[in-house]
Amino acid sequence: MRSIWKLVARQYRHNRIAFVLGIAIALVPAISGVLLLGVSGWFITAAGIAGVTGIFLNIFAPSAIIRALAILRTAGRYGERMLTHDATFRFLTDLRNSLFSATAAKGATGQRSGIMLNRLTLDIAALDKVYLRLVVPLVLFLSVVLILLLVWLKMPVAIFACGTIFLLIWFSLAVYAVRSSDRKTARRADSALDAMRLRATDLAAGRRDLFVYGGLEPVAASILVADNRLEAAEEIEDKQAIRLTVYSTLTGQLFLAAMLLAAVITVDGAVLTPAIGVGLVLVVMALPEIFSQILPGLVGLRRVALASGRLNGSLERAHLGDDMNSGKGTRPKASHDSIPVLSFENVSFRYPGAEQDVLERLSFDISQGEVVAIAGRSGSGKSTVASLTARLMKPDSGGIFLKSADIRIVPENILRQKITVLSQRPYLFNHTVAANLRIAKPDATDTELWVALAQSALATRISNGEKGLESVLGEGGLGLSGGEQRRLALARAFLTSPDLFVLDEMTEGLDEDTASDVLERFLSFKGPAAALMIAHKRLELESADRILRLRHLKTDSVAK
Amino acid sequence: MKETNYLLNSGQERGITLLMMQGEQTGAQPVDGIAGSETAQYARIGDAKPGEGKILRGAGILLSAADMFWIPQAALIAYVLSEMLKRFLDDAKGSVAGFAATDALWCILGICLIAFVRAGLQIFALNRARSTARQIQGNARADLLEAATACSPAAPFPSSGAFAAHLTDQVDHLGPYYRNFLPQVMRLKLVPVAIVLVTATVSWLAALILLICGPLIPVFMALIGMRAKAASAHQQDELTRLSGTLLDRIRGLETLTVFGAIGRTEDDIRQAGDDFRAGTMRVLKIAFLSSTVLELFAALGIAFVAVYVGFSLLGDISAGTWAGPLSYWQGLFVLLLAPEFFAPLRGYAAAYHDRAAGLAAKEKLVDIAQQISGSSVGSLQVSVSSGSERKLPENAPEIGFYKVSLSLGKTPVLESLSFEVASGEILLLHGPSGSGKTTILDTLLGFHTPQSGRIELDGQRLIPGLAEQLRGNVIWLNQAPRLFHGSLKSNLLKGVSPGERVLEEDLWEALRLAGADDLVRRLPHGLATQLGEDGFGLSVGEMRRIALARAALRKDAVLLLADEPTAGLDQETASDVIAGLTALCSGRTSLIATHDPAVLSMPGRVFDMTKAQFVQSREVAE
Repeated sequence: MRSIWKLVARQYRHNRIAFVLGIAIALVPAISGVLLLGVSGWFITAAGIAGVTGIFLNIFAPSAIIRALAILRTAGRYGERMLTHDATFRFLTDLRNSLFSATAAKGATGQRSGIMLNRLTLDIAALDKVYLRLVVPLVLFLSVVLILLLVWLKMPVAIFACGTIFLLIWFSLAVYAVRSSDRKTARRADSALDAMRLRATDLAAGRRDLFVYGGLEPVAASILVADNRLEAAEEIEDKQAIRLTVYSTLTGQLFLAAMLLAAVITVDGAVLTPAIGVGLVLVVMALPEIFSQILPGLVGLRRVALASGRLNGSLERAHLGDDMNSGKGTRPKASHDSIPVLSFENVSFRYPGAEQDVLERLSFDISQGEVVAIAGRSGSGKSTVASLTARLMKPDSGGIFLKSADIRIVPENILRQKITVLSQRPYLFNHTVAANLRIAKPDATDTELWVALAQSALATRISNGEKGLESVLGEGGLGLSGGEQRRLALARAFLTSPDLFVLDEMTEGLDEDTASDVLERFLSFKGPAAALMIAHKRLELESADRILRLRHLKTDSVAK
Repeated sequence: MKETNYLLNSGQERGITLLMMQGEQTGAQPVDGIAGSETAQYARIGDAKPGEGKILRGAGILLSAADMFWIPQAALIAYVLSEMLKRFLDDAKGSVAGFAATDALWCILGICLIAFVRAGLQIFALNRARSTARQIQGNARADLLEAATACSPAAPFPSSGAFAAHLTDQVDHLGPYYRNFLPQVMRLKLVPVAIVLVTATVSWLAALILLICGPLIPVFMALIGMRAKAASAHQQDELTRLSGTLLDRIRGLETLTVFGAIGRTEDDIRQAGDDFRAGTMRVLKIAFLSSTVLELFAALGIAFVAVYVGFSLLGDISAGTWAGPLSYWQGLFVLLLAPEFFAPLRGYAAAYHDRAAGLAAKEKLVDIAQQISGSSVGSLQVSVSSGSERKLPENAPEIGFYKVSLSLGKTPVLESLSFEVASGEILLLHGPSGSGKTTILDTLLGFHTPQSGRIELDGQRLIPGLAEQLRGNVIWLNQAPRLFHGSLKSNLLKGVSPGERVLEEDLWEALRLAGADDLVRRLPHGLATQLGEDGFGLSVGEMRRIALARAALRKDAVLLLADEPTAGLDQETASDVIAGLTALCSGRTSLIATHDPAVLSMPGRVFDMTKAQFVQSREVAE
């Protein structure tokens, strides 16, 4: 529940005026609705009395009030809805942006994209209920209760007692709604939905493998099993919501009957005139509509709490890691030939949950202009070295230095300027060729892009396409073969001018002729920059100035 | 005017849409009967079955009945209050009270009893509607999954994200449509009519006020509603686009980080988020506007009735009743009924948004199901049983391709291709990508059906039924093998037919053959290690070796098919994989597609795809 309060506070801070104004305007239609019925009841009763007794009644004021209330209620409701929804969606959009930044800052490694997407879309969408379904109706509830109590206080005791009793019943219904909403059910529903999504992704993306191994039907069946679990959880929540809504309506009707009785008993000429009595009875008719609004929100409270808990968690964790991006810190020194571009000093690293270190006290230097290849079996930690250098992960112990500056405290933008990484699985965005290239250099001209493409032997392929640089690459870069995707990623790297290139299996997936061509182009292009090359091809190893062999330390002892 | 049509007969409209869809289908795709009826079947995805429609309408009728019980309640309330007023006026005149408190008590008891009946009806009806709507959602999921399992894995398929979103979110949009909207339609048809009729027995003028204010509402609603569905569909597209953009950037987060481009991406995301927000507000604006129009009429209607009743009671108006002036009892009764006349209209307006979202989602589901089942590569007709008399060979079969031609879409891939593979032989398909290596393997697995020519296994023609048996017992290594959520062990066990007993040693033996035993021992939880999305946590080479181990569990297989088995592997690992493959090839007829010289040096014949002929002098004996 605390996470929901945090979220409410966050939305309040986001735009205080909209937050308060939304609630204030929401009061207008609610109170007008109550008054409309009350005044109507009073008016016709007073008219009835006047008609029989001939007492003078000012009819124009009440009928004008009735019409004014009708219009106020309508206009107020439209204004309230527009205002509260707009404020909420603005808040949620900003929240999504901060959540994305937070996730990005935390580092890309170790995330499942499907789950992250759910956090950014579904969780955020679930939170629109907090203000719209909880805060606004709850404040309305309390305000109307307060006004009613003040009015009833001036009435005979029976009226006040009857009103208070039924308000208490409504209040206990609300409490019951919160108490009965079950954390376990909410979790079950969430996890069933996640399972359904993950399995559907598996089914769609792994159809070829599934067709031969195990078949598609078992996966389809397991999705339906998850759907059944979801259904069971939803049934509990929905039934509860239905029950509460109906109970609330029933309470309203019993309240009406009780108020009727109280009015009949207490009406006399002095304290309570019949006109006011009828007005009070009719006011009760308008209450269920206002009070029933909070119940659905309260039933879904647990799921909202889960979503907001996850969100607060992500945002706060990211906040702790902010120092690195604050812009302070040491900058790498200007070029001095004597200082190594990169040095590892006693670096150890272990993947979370692994039994042993993948790197143990690794030390090496790379001097300016030098090309160093790192070789070793798969699993020996080659890619780990690349990730550590790119600060995608942090070493458990030891230090990594970029021109004598500890990379832990090098500002992010400087680090990215000084090191260009070509990762093992380069990603091409569902965007134009030009946009994909400009990730590396936003202000690059078309000519620069073509030069980079020519460098990576892709210029003809792209210019043959109908739209040239503006051709759109599909999901995961479809339309280009694996080798061509590699070369496009290489062209991206060619747009930068760093001190150090980190190449993680650059020529992987290229046939031998293209591989040596690409390698040659790279070596002639790189200029004075140094290169750390994760390699296993003879070709690459031969072109390096120095080869560093990683051996997995304890493989043999584990094998038995 | 489509919307008003809907008011009159919801079922009819859906029937017409369905007919139109079927018409378009058969017009656009003159396919054979089976596929045609299949696509028509998927045109009904997300529809209520006749029985379910009946239950939903029944729930609507029960809800209407619960609403109509307000009429006696209102009569009782009006009676009690008018008697109270009479007593008050009599008291004022000093005469004896004619109305006892016990009478009031009986009336109030009646009101309470009716209230309980109403609550019971509502709970029953709402739960019925809920469970029926949920059943329709479940059926829609099952139908979509059926479409997905029935089509060839080599056929074009929506992106995994889009498929998952349709299966979950879009189907979820159906729920409120069936649960809320359809019962509301029934309420809208019954309740206002009943209220007007009862009001008319008391005062025709009050009934006239309601009649004027009421029917105007659907006219305005229709005008606004036309835009509502379009805006809703547009908004769902906007959401898909936002999700797409987000997923794309999340997957490429590492690339963005290493190029320091996170800041610029945040602008993209902000832009997409703002577009989405603007779209949401557009939809809501329409929804709010329509309910505002409705509420305005409802409020004015009630206000007019109140004013009319007030003036009648004062004696300023004497028209509007059938006989004599309007009594206080009658006036109050009419006033109490007026809000209930508008309540179903308001409920309808509130559920209107659900309708727009539900119908838009249904169209999307039909689209995606037809996209899946209607692709030209075609359905597999797995269920055709004519293959049952053909038995999968028990020993390594001879394979023959005779003048096989195959086009994918419009591109011819195999052109009159002929070759033979002897029993137990290794055939190495050599050629650049796009030369048809993968297509040959896919055709053997039954993913494609050749347009002409024939494929034989030990002299038996390869028909879908035989290909299905083959798929169940072949060692096959995909070019980009995919592993699934779940433990490593459960991934390996996908290679074993269900019910077959497998010992832990068998798993380790398969892993050893694939050169993967060391890497599994290194994993934090060994065989119990949980793999994430797309084999998350393993490198490309590790995934390929696990996939090879999965294949190696099929010890009885007589055929081995491998597609680029060494792509993405370092030399040492590649040689491990080749050694494993070579061991698995013995006693089996094998087809291996590759352009890696190391694989080409395996003992076997090389078939050059570019020239469609065997490479001479490469024949190596065992």
